Amino acid sequence: MALKTALAAMALAAAGAAGWVVLDTRPPSPPAGFAARFPTAEGFEFDPPAPGSYDLLRIKPAPDGELLDIHGNLSRLSDLMRDRITLVSFVYLSCGDIGGCPLAMSVLFDIHEASLGVPGLGDEVQLMTISFDPERDTVEAIGAFAYPISIDRDADRKLPWQVLTAPDQAALQPILDGFGQVVNRSGDQETINHVLRMYLVDRQGQIRNIYGLGLIDPRLLMSDVETLLQEEGTG
Amino acid sequence: MNRREFSTLAASAMVLGGSPFRAFADETCQSPYMPKITGTEEFIYVWTLGVEGMGDEQDKLVTIDARPDSSTRGQVINSVSVGGRNEAHHGGFNSDRRYFWTGGLDTNRIFIFDVHSDPSTPKLHKTIDTFVKDSGGVVGPHTFFALPGRMMISGLSNDGDHGGRTALVEYSDEGDYLATYWHPTAEDMQGAEAVGDAVADGFGYDIRALIRKNIMLTSSFTGWSNYMMDFGQMLQDGEAMKRFGNTVVQWDLHTRQPKKVFNVPGAPLEIRFPWGANANYAFTSAALTSKLWLIYEDDGGEWQAKEVADIGNPADIPLPVDISIAADDQTLWVNSFMDGKTRLFDISDPHNPSQIYEKQIGRQVNMVSQSWDGSRVYYTSSLLSQWDKKGEDDEQYLKAYSWDGTELTEDYSVDFYELKLGRAHIMRFGSSALYTS
Repeated sequence: MALKTALAAMALAAAGAAGWVVLDTRPPSPPAGFAARFPTAEGFEFDPPAPGSYDLLRIKPAPDGELLDIHGNLSRLSDLMRDRITLVSFVYLSCGDIGGCPLAMSVLFDIHEASLGVPGLGDEVQLMTISFDPERDTVEAIGAFAYPISIDRDADRKLPWQVLTAPDQAALQPILDGFGQVVNRSGDQETINHVLRMYLVDRQGQIRNIYGLGLIDPRLLMSDVETLLQEEGTG
Repeated sequence: MNRREFSTLAASAMVLGGSPFRAFADETCQSPYMPKITGTEEFIYVWTLGVEGMGDEQDKLVTIDARPDSSTRGQVINSVSVGGRNEAHHGGFNSDRRYFWTGGLDTNRIFIFDVHSDPSTPKLHKTIDTFVKDSGGVVGPHTFFALPGRMMISGLSNDGDHGGRTALVEYSDEGDYLATYWHPTAEDMQGAEAVGDAVADGFGYDIRALIRKNIMLTSSFTGWSNYMMDFGQMLQDGEAMKRFGNTVVQWDLHTRQPKKVFNVPGAPLEIRFPWGANANYAFTSAALTSKLWLIYEDDGGEWQAKEVADIGNPADIPLPVDISIAADDQTLWVNSFMDGKTRLFDISDPHNPSQIYEKQIGRQVNMVSQSWDGSRVYYTSSLLSQWDKKGEDDEQYLKAYSWDGTELTEDYSVDFYELKLGRAHIMRFGSSALYTS
């Protein structure tokens, strides 16, 4: 992105030197310090570190595979994550544990809502929810789940939010294994035991942080996002 | 649309039911990121030091059956040898509790066991032979503290002078090296503040964290040149006795940056945070001074350190070792190696702990682990191969007790020398329930 920004600036400078009148059509860059505009999760008892005051490790490459969106389109995960920094959350729609999937969903929702106040962020960052229950979480089911997002009139001024499911277990498992998301189906049919995790993936497809309970806070997550944007030279 | 409207709409697509892993037994002293056994532990994994001339002479992971209804309860049901002696010491599960990481303090090898495929029969999954090279010279992989998707490992030493200056080393769950974080020293504080008369020594030992406060604490012991030296010889070596850690360091858990260095003299060892929602403190015990210390957040939100109790008679040098906090934060088991005793402290007022019980476990005792409900307490015997007692005093065992609130009653014991297994060190609990329901 640093390169993209530099090229755009050079083009503008050249145009100005030539006496042309041009409109700057570059998307606005998210303002510095935007992470502080996001809300704090309940029970979160510290101020997140200043974005850019720390490094995020390149933990491992994110896996690839094919997933279905709410329209039934099949896409490669790598293609879906290439253009933006991505916050990835694995859930299943029938999870009723308030400390599990609903917690992850509500935090993503808070981020989605608050992103309205950060112009340009949606060009750099996206949210991604992937179901690990393809049998029940069909295209129709994830479509119904994503309905509130689909009808949001402000959606194009917020972060893009992709809700995805897998064609089948065989397609899903390498993705779960690659991320390290443990899912256990050996119990009753209704319950899928899992460890709550979220993942931060950069535009090069590297997993840069992994979050568990106690770390899933909008401000902390966005501090990491802003740290990555600063690393790229766009934040 | 507000959050409530979103939740209502989204809920129309959801059916209530299900839960994430919470098989919520030293079960109370592990990384808060991992699933817990709050029911009955089924297996006890004992990371065991091989002894020359005994059995296969190798370090091994020994599994003891703890299932209440099993015909082999209290017996060794599996043993996995790792191909040599490494000074087996500590170990910890990764954050999804499928793998048990263990370290060798002498050879610096790390052994990762698969404990989920068949919890009764752990298998050696992977060996890391490159810890020193990976880390840039860290020696003595000690504590294995699970972070989501990663393992934070404390070193005890370095390959330069084999003294106590050392670092934290981070690996991915796959066993790939990620980063090294050297402890602050007086010469290079790395932005940390020395509190009072603290002098940053750069030493390391244990790691524990309080996630909701973004606090990670590390303690400090001694380097390879001491922990691999004969104990009696070391006690007579004045220079060697100066080479012990005297600090606890407070780190920013998220950024891995050191923030404060506290003066905690006499080799502070295990660190234990309570579980209570408003409990903002941790305990550690200093081995050489026999003091119990409290690291706590004061009324102004600043973290401080102070000694809060004697452990036994410090003049007798009982050498406190492992400690274990109860899940309700009301009591703390404290073992002391030299007198072979376990002591129970009432810590309901963490600033004023008081001893309420003691019992002789053996001629020497090191580790203590308790079940989540506190009704079962387990002890093992080995400290370090060169520091364990000699002759008849060198008992090697696992002893299982029941605790009724007033008395420890022995349930069963396993004699590790009689079975030609070796020296019993750290214990961790296993249960098939973690993976099946």
